[in-house]
Order: sequence, then C-alpha cells, then structure tokens
Amino acid sequence: MSDQRPQMIVPALIGGVVAGVLSGVPFLNCLCCLWVIGGAMLAAHLLARESPVSLTAGDGAVVGVLTGIFAAVTDTLIGIPLRGVNLAIARRFMERFSEFAGEGMPSGWESWLEQDMPGPGPAWFLFGLLISAVIFAALGALGGVLGASLFGKKPAAPSASVPPPSIPPPPAPPQA
Amino acid sequence: MQRRHANTLAYGLTLAGILLWLAAIAAAPLLRRAAPRWSALFYTVFAPVCHQRPERSFFLHGFPLAVCGRCLGIYAGILLGTLFFPLRRRTPGSGLPALRTLAVFTLPIGLDTLGNFLGLWSTGDGVRFATGLLWGVVLPFFFIPAVGEALSRERRPELAKAGPKT
Repeated sequence: MSDQRPQMIVPALIGGVVAGVLSGVPFLNCLCCLWVIGGAMLAAHLLARESPVSLTAGDGAVVGVLTGIFAAVTDTLIGIPLRGVNLAIARRFMERFSEFAGEGMPSGWESWLEQDMPGPGPAWFLFGLLISAVIFAALGALGGVLGASLFGKKPAAPSASVPPPSIPPPPAPPQA
Repeated sequence: MQRRHANTLAYGLTLAGILLWLAAIAAAPLLRRAAPRWSALFYTVFAPVCHQRPERSFFLHGFPLAVCGRCLGIYAGILLGTLFFPLRRRTPGSGLPALRTLAVFTLPIGLDTLGNFLGLWSTGDGVRFATGLLWGVVLPFFFIPAVGEALSRERRPELAKAGPKT
C-alpha cells in the first residue's frame, strides 16, 4: 500500500518554508495564522499532484502537521536575524498600547519588554520552537485538510482487475 | 483504532484543544498585573501566529487579548462549530461538507482580509471578528473527520479495491 503513497516530506518542506518565511517577515505577518494554513494547502496541492490516487482528509492532516513543523523551524530561524527589528516593532506596539490604555497603564510599563520578554538563551529558544511547532502543526493540519478537500480528488480510474458487469442485450422487439 | 473510537477521540481532542487555546488567549491580559512573567509568556506563545496589534484587538481588564479581533473570531468560531458538530447531518462519501459550503463561509473573510491588506478599506474590530467567526464555524466540520481518519489509519478505498501491488 505504501508504495502508492507519495512522499510527504518534500511538499511539506516547500509549504513549510514558504509559510515560515511569510509568517516571520514583519508587515507580511499581519495575515496571522492564514500563512500557515495557506502553506499547508500548498503542500497538499503539491502532494496531490504527485499522488496517483485521491488524497484522503487524513493524508491532508498528516502533510499539514509536517508543514506546520517545518514552518515553525523556518519562522524561528528567520526570527534570529530579525530579532532587533521585531523588538523595535514591539516597542512601538507598547507605545501605541499605552496610548490606548491611557491612565490604566501600570507604572514601569516601559521596561516590560526588557523584564518580561523571553531572552535569547538556548532554553527559551528551544521552548519557543516547541510551542511554535505545536501551534503551527495544529493550524497546518487544518490547512492540509482544506487543501486535500480542494485539490486531492482524482477521477476514478477504471480498474483492470475487475471486469465490467456484463449487460445482456435488450430483447428484440416482437416481429409484426 | 476503530473509526468510531477515533472520531470520538478526535472530537474530544479538538474540543479540549480549542478550550485550552481560548483560555490561554484570555489568560494573557488577565495575568498582566498579577503575574507579568506568565502573561508575557502567553503573549509570546501567540506572537508567531498573530500580529497582536492593540488597535485591532479586544481588551480584557484593560489589556489587549493575546490575538487580534479576527483571530479571536476564528478561534471562537472553531469552538462554536465544534459544539455544533455532533448535530451535523451525516453525508455520504467522505463525510466532509461540500466545497461550495466552504467557499460561502470563506468569501467574507477572504474579501475583507484582501481589502484591508491592499489598503482598499479598513474595517472595524466587529466586522473582523464576525468574518473570522463565520469562517471558524465551518472548519471543525473538515478538521474533526480528518483527524479521526488519520487516527484510525483506515485503508484507502481505492487501494483496497485495487489490492496489493505486485
């Protein structure tokens, strides 16, 4: 059975890298989780192209999970060089946040980023990667299922091993 | 695993997962004063999947939720859809809804997201939440049967019909 099942790794890697890059680049990441769902749909489309048989929803879920994991790794790796940019964006976020919250802001909010944001240590890095992988895998499963539903159907091929049922010819009309 | 048990497990996992997910989204602002480090952790967890802009987020106890209004709508819709899932009509074949149903539920969020992204218009949090909610409602009807199928590891009908390859 498994010889007819196409390899999922390559489509998942392509979809995951695309989703991870788009999720990690500032401004483009304003589409939130839709990039991960879209990347998993792309992976399902690529998988369906290679598959000789129709994809099931379960196939879509599995390739989506793999896509999500690859996307999380890509997003985390992209986040390393962009950490400075993201921190600057986060600071602007906090400033705008303070404008919205007004007097409700607790004292010392300016130092929240430095105090509370996870540091660049390896433990936080791995923890962040693990959490991202879980969340991205769940969203990827969703995208993979949708992709399999959209792109995974194949026209049913006639089976060579099962002969077509013999249909008796219609009875001849009675001779007048 | 039998398909019936797999479907039940898939439903339970989805329901528990989305409840946990929504609780974590709400925990970020709720813990902001009492436990700022835990609050920061929850904000950080959702940062990779949401821009978290405060002007596009709902507030709880004076602080923005961990995701924006549209994302909150999607997740709230998934919860709603999961709760309605047992009431669905059994459909023949794959058990998934028709694709036109997905298209109808996707069109509003697709148009609104595209218009906002291209700067054609800017909708308020209410519209963003509503379009997200509408899309989220339909997703469990695809997701739960798929996870059930993946867990049950059933043979594909096409392959079962064709038999083992020689």
